[in-house]
Amino acid sequence: MTTTFTRRALGALGLAATVGLAGQAAAETFPQRPITMVVPFAAGGPTDIVARLVAEQMSRSLGQQVVIENVSGAGGTTGITRAAQASPDGYTIMMGHMGTHGAAPALFKGLKYDPAKSFDPIGMAAGTPIVIVAKKDFPAADLKAFVEAVKAGGPKVNQAHAGVGSVSHSTGVLFDSIIGAKPTLVVYRGTGPALNDLMANQVDFMTDQIVNVATQITGGTIKAYAIATAERSPALPDVPTTKEAGLPGYEVSAWNAVFAPKGLPQDVAKKLQDALASALADAGTKKRILDLGGTVPSTAEQGPKALQALVESEVARWTPVLRAAVDASGQ
Amino acid sequence: MSVPDDGSARAGGPIRGPQSLAAGLGLIALGVFAVWAGSDLPQGTLGAMGPGLMPRWLGIGVAACGVALVLAGFLKTGEPLPPVAWRGVVVVMLAIVAFAVTIRPVPVGPFTTPGLGLIVAGPLAIIVGGYASPEARFGELVCLALLLTAGCMLLFGDLLNLPIPMFPTVVIEALSGSISMRLLLRLSAGVLILLGIGMVALLRSGARRRPVDVATHSLTT
Amino acid sequence: MTDLLANLGLGFSVALSLQNLGLCFLGCLVGTLIGVLPGVGPIATIAMLLPITFGLDPVGALIMLAGIYYGAQYGGSTTAILVNIPGEATSVVTTLDGHQMARQGRAGIALGIAAMGSFFAGTVATLLIAALGAPLTGLAMVFGPAEYFALMVMGLVFAVVLARGSVLKAVAMILVGVLLASVGTDLETGQERMTFGLSFLSDGVDFSVLAMGLFGVAEILRNLDQTETRDVVRQQIGRLLPSRADLKQAAPSVLRGTAIGSILGILPGNGAVLGPFASYAIEKRIARDPSRFGRGAIEGVAGPESANNAGSQTSFIPLLTLGIPPNAVMALMVGAMTIHGIIPGPGVMTKNPNLFWGMIASMWIGNLMLLIINLPLVGLWVRLLKVPYRLMFPAILMFCSIGIYSINSLPTDVMLIAFFGLLGYGLIKLGFEPAPMLLGFVLGRLMEEYLRRSLTLSRGDPMVFFERPVTAVLLVISVVMLVAALTPALRKSRDEVFTEA
Repeated sequence: MTTTFTRRALGALGLAATVGLAGQAAAETFPQRPITMVVPFAAGGPTDIVARLVAEQMSRSLGQQVVIENVSGAGGTTGITRAAQASPDGYTIMMGHMGTHGAAPALFKGLKYDPAKSFDPIGMAAGTPIVIVAKKDFPAADLKAFVEAVKAGGPKVNQAHAGVGSVSHSTGVLFDSIIGAKPTLVVYRGTGPALNDLMANQVDFMTDQIVNVATQITGGTIKAYAIATAERSPALPDVPTTKEAGLPGYEVSAWNAVFAPKGLPQDVAKKLQDALASALADAGTKKRILDLGGTVPSTAEQGPKALQALVESEVARWTPVLRAAVDASGQ
Repeated sequence: MSVPDDGSARAGGPIRGPQSLAAGLGLIALGVFAVWAGSDLPQGTLGAMGPGLMPRWLGIGVAACGVALVLAGFLKTGEPLPPVAWRGVVVVMLAIVAFAVTIRPVPVGPFTTPGLGLIVAGPLAIIVGGYASPEARFGELVCLALLLTAGCMLLFGDLLNLPIPMFPTVVIEALSGSISMRLLLRLSAGVLILLGIGMVALLRSGARRRPVDVATHSLTT
Repeated sequence: MTDLLANLGLGFSVALSLQNLGLCFLGCLVGTLIGVLPGVGPIATIAMLLPITFGLDPVGALIMLAGIYYGAQYGGSTTAILVNIPGEATSVVTTLDGHQMARQGRAGIALGIAAMGSFFAGTVATLLIAALGAPLTGLAMVFGPAEYFALMVMGLVFAVVLARGSVLKAVAMILVGVLLASVGTDLETGQERMTFGLSFLSDGVDFSVLAMGLFGVAEILRNLDQTETRDVVRQQIGRLLPSRADLKQAAPSVLRGTAIGSILGILPGNGAVLGPFASYAIEKRIARDPSRFGRGAIEGVAGPESANNAGSQTSFIPLLTLGIPPNAVMALMVGAMTIHGIIPGPGVMTKNPNLFWGMIASMWIGNLMLLIINLPLVGLWVRLLKVPYRLMFPAILMFCSIGIYSINSLPTDVMLIAFFGLLGYGLIKLGFEPAPMLLGFVLGRLMEEYLRRSLTLSRGDPMVFFERPVTAVLLVISVVMLVAALTPALRKSRDEVFTEA
């Protein structure tokens, strides 16, 4: 028994000593320990890939590791909710995206955060253009004919999407509302199975991120009608933009951006912003994002102010479209 | 090679298969519960099946199986209800919950548990859990807890770099800057291992002197 | 044929480089160790090791990650045999007879036959991918939602065959499993189903959580009140490796398992998950004495394990040729490839022949390494069973908790294993078997999805299941199997009444 007591006493002494040491060190500058970046989706998806690429570079310039923590669930809102509630010390940041910081308020009624108010924006990371793809046997020759066919077909046309709250769902519903069509929605769990059925001619079309569909397009197993960005993508140089093809209203991209919980100290925020900006300026990271078919934001689009404005405009853009779609499907 | 339970032929009373009866009642309850829980969901049509269609029919199916089992309980001689070892059940549940609420801060009602990390949650789970068995010995469990926790910290934290909290949040915040996290991890794992080995040695010598003491002591706790 | 040889030659020249051999070994070793720990799956491991591979060339990186994948797959079976915890949906079946063998002191034989069967299956599957990879993808196109629905129904029928005891109870368990699978956000409408407003249920229950609870925790609880049976595990150890007679007995099962697993693995709709179940059901059906199954029949380990490995190998076909990941691990592999600048899809074979054939060759090498790593380890694992149970179970408890936490970093997941452990214990007490429930859970979600999707596409016309030949044939097989499973069971339960009375 006596031995236990001595050990306890020793342990207490040791702890006291270390705490004392720490008191001195606490005043030093950020960051002093690894930073956790919450990715609200499963590992391996487009958001996760962007996060890992960026985190790798940010670790270098911050001198501390940026560790990725995948907390998936409820269209990404589980992870974002948790990260939003973390203490705003800069040690917990998150990779938000179009869904979690744009579409979520319309889709999730009990959402515990407000995309525009609960966060300190750090900056944009990458954008992924949306492509309108169809089964390879779809008769329409160009986007105009395609739009007409979808409108004329009504519920006879099958549109695939990867689940409520997914990028293909939001952007697909937006497409339908812009052209004024009401195709039958066929739901899949993720992009993979949806693409499979598109290749097998089971469904007619879908809209999805370029990274998910590029190889199938170049491989000729599905066809692309247009890419919903201002400029053509180097990954798919033959695919016209929606503007060129005659549907200028449909310009949309799945963006990824870094956020921190609200209330970040100024100097910490600045460090994180700079780290992100320098990560995106790195040629290797840039090339990897571009290789994926993604876009790297320009300096003007990249900063926190631009991001805050984007979040506000995105929430305003998605809410009416998605509410209408949910009301229609919920019966 | 399974040894059949000694539950053969037990007649008397209208209930001939108590296990079937209980199983059936359980299924009926579950089925009814499922139908109730899914009752607010739209059923939809065949062309556009609603989210409530499958759960309702599954609930009905489960309940139907339950009815059949209840009947079997009255008609067919079956196994009796085996006894339940409550000590094991309660203690194991406690151990898992203890791990869950200490590994990281968890909001429980109005307040939040302090995140204590693996260095606390791991030993807690092992030591508390160990008492599920009546053969538990405190010293042994502490050794196991120290050594395994150290191993897990090195494996998951150092080698695999999994984002599992290792230390209490308070300690991390207090120590940040003065020592690198990796070094802290290795150091504390080393200390745990040394303590563990020391405990093992102590137990060995203690066991030689007083072999019974530990066991009776743990039984009384 | 010359093409095949030339391609394989290219592949081996890539895979046999010193660096790639080392990476392959490392991957297999890490995978095995990870797989053996209950709860820690390949997904977390691959995700975490991903950044480490940034510095490597893509071929080496992918060879290592693939090694982790099949190493973990294999390690999962070790846990299933030794402590009755299936790490993956595909090793659920291995618990049935594998763990029984371990209880009889034949753990070494079970582990040995699993290793050898897996190696054989892996070899065949690798050759199959090399020779027929491209043409086989055509099969993927034949399978639409209706076909997958029929396939899943067939799988659920297998689950009835799997059951050892009462068929009625097995059916009930399957239904409960399917019911449990429907908890969570509805895929089609986004409405919450039976979540009772609990946010951690909104994505449904994770497979590992359910498996860890129903098998891991419930098994501990059961052992705690049955002192005699658990002592059997450490009673005697017996042979470490299968004897000639064992091998002879298992060989046909290995062959059949390999064939079934390979074919199902090619289907991009996660067909590989069915492989072990199908193999087990078939072995039990054609066995001269089906009652041996569930009591330590070596065929019940050899067949499913071979099917499992063959399937995990051939599931690379849809990934590499169509760019479609059939399961979560493969989705992660897609991520790994994309990070390395290779986007899997129809072009990989022509654009990156080095990578494609190098990976295929490394699969075979990886399988050989698994055999080399695992046969000597058998002795170690078996010795692990000698650890007194009072120390073993707290350790398992902690590993399960860490493993489950590592999947989503959610403490609620850890609490759920306690809940499902309690449920599983109750079920055991009431004479139910957890395996059919787990199967119902795995297949139920897919089945509902495919059912609703086919009906959406047919605009509500159920004839869609009878007009398409593949669907019709699969459904007819299911009905026949169900009837065949029910009739002898009825007879048998009668016999049991007689013997008991």
